[in-house]
Amino acid sequence: MRFRNPLVSFMFWTAIGLLYLPLVYLVFQAFLENPNDWRGGFTLKWLIKLFDSPALWEPLLNSVEIGVLSATLAISLGTLGAVGLSNISAFLPPVIQTLIILPILVPEVITGLSLLLFFLLCRFDLGFLTVVVAHASFSASFVYFIMVEQLRKLDPQMGEAAQDLGAKPSEVFWKVTLPNIIPGIMGGWLLAFTLSFDDFLISFFTSGAGLTTLPLKIYSLMRIGISPELNGLSFVMICISTCLVLLLISKEQSRKWVLKG
Amino acid sequence: MKTTQYLPSSAWAFLIWLITMTLLPFTIILGMSFLERTELGTILFSFSLRNYQQLLDWVYLKVLVKTVWLALMATLSCLAIGFPVAYYLARVQGTMKSLGLILLFIPFWTNFILRIYGIVSLFGSNGILNQLLMFLGLPKASILYTRWGVYFGLVYNYLPFLVVPIYSSLEKLDPFLREAAFDLGATRFQTFRKVILPNIKEGLFIGSIFVFIPMLGEYVIPDLLGGAKEAFLGKVMVEQFFILQDWPLGSAIATMLSVLLLAALWLQNRWTSKGLAHAI
Repeated sequence: MRFRNPLVSFMFWTAIGLLYLPLVYLVFQAFLENPNDWRGGFTLKWLIKLFDSPALWEPLLNSVEIGVLSATLAISLGTLGAVGLSNISAFLPPVIQTLIILPILVPEVITGLSLLLFFLLCRFDLGFLTVVVAHASFSASFVYFIMVEQLRKLDPQMGEAAQDLGAKPSEVFWKVTLPNIIPGIMGGWLLAFTLSFDDFLISFFTSGAGLTTLPLKIYSLMRIGISPELNGLSFVMICISTCLVLLLISKEQSRKWVLKG
Repeated sequence: MKTTQYLPSSAWAFLIWLITMTLLPFTIILGMSFLERTELGTILFSFSLRNYQQLLDWVYLKVLVKTVWLALMATLSCLAIGFPVAYYLARVQGTMKSLGLILLFIPFWTNFILRIYGIVSLFGSNGILNQLLMFLGLPKASILYTRWGVYFGLVYNYLPFLVVPIYSSLEKLDPFLREAAFDLGATRFQTFRKVILPNIKEGLFIGSIFVFIPMLGEYVIPDLLGGAKEAFLGKVMVEQFFILQDWPLGSAIATMLSVLLLAALWLQNRWTSKGLAHAI
């Protein structure tokens, strides 16, 4: 059916245009000779300079390492939870359901602050490990929901057949269930990585003084003011984020979650 | 149907993780909100409601009123902009629908800080807006570092979180309802007001609450887009932890926000009478 109300479609496309305007302008700025004046002409020199400087590589490497570790932790925990609970997930008491969903719903400020207090009271040194653990603390719940859905699609008779043929429960998991949920695991891992890579606020609270991730670096440069280095970093970050989202959308398991924010 | 009385050990690994990494930290915040801070900045372990009383102080009430007002305006603006967006997405069919959804969400998966920085470079004193005004020979507009900056930041960043609930409640509507209304001679406006709106008003309300509450606790947007003088609840809360070293008072604000959120969750659960898994 063709969409008939031109006013509504005009409003939709205007809204989309306005949403993209700031980001497109950031990309555009990264190529300006003088970032504050668009009549100055274009250049690649800021980006070339950025790729030679440690200002890009150190935070980028940190972000990637934290993302890989926290996504791996989240996928292990989320999958374990889903394997244990998927049969009974609809009958779980509300307390447990709330507990699982809480990390997704609670505003990041509160998650970040409560984790900070927790780490400080446990006398953990803030840094790389606390950030990894903090990121996994909220992404594990996302992974759980993806994996529950993936497990529901499995034919329960497969596991039963394996059991009838004499497989132990652990063998059923490693040889039957796991190979069949690999696509879900990949989608969930990628989602957890993206959540970690893009996260600012929770890293900000739990990283302590020494550690910089890419978003933290952009934040600290932003407090100083607009600079070519900042525009270059923004450009790199936008490219990576966009690639990650497109990857997530291309995977059936995680697409739904991208479209729910 | 197999209902197991005990939970398998693999489930316990996940649940213990959630209990230590989510529930325990929240309990710490909750507990902390009933403690007191001594003059020296250390924490006194005695039960008191002083922090909650302090929140009723005129200084904090003023911040609260201002924050609620700004968040309310931003939520209403999100509704006004988000409704046509969601309506379009719900009514359009085929490729345009998926393309529209994807286009809407890509900006929100780019980094949050970058979206804020984008707004800074649009509205800043040398930003595109002011360059354009200068080019036209008009006076500069100062939006950044005022409450207007915070307002634009809130609307921009929370818009899709309101589009999604409106979109899904519109999707659930029976398309024949609309056709039936037309067949019975209703105009477009009557159909909207008397048929569509009453059917989605709960979705609108709950969606708005889930945007409104996180807005109250927002820290980064007022910090980067509002001026130093603009006090905002979330900013005040974070400053209690990092600058004023008054953890108990900061915890009391955090507890208050969490209670509001849980109340909204409970309300939604009651209204939709579905499992919590549908909340997201």
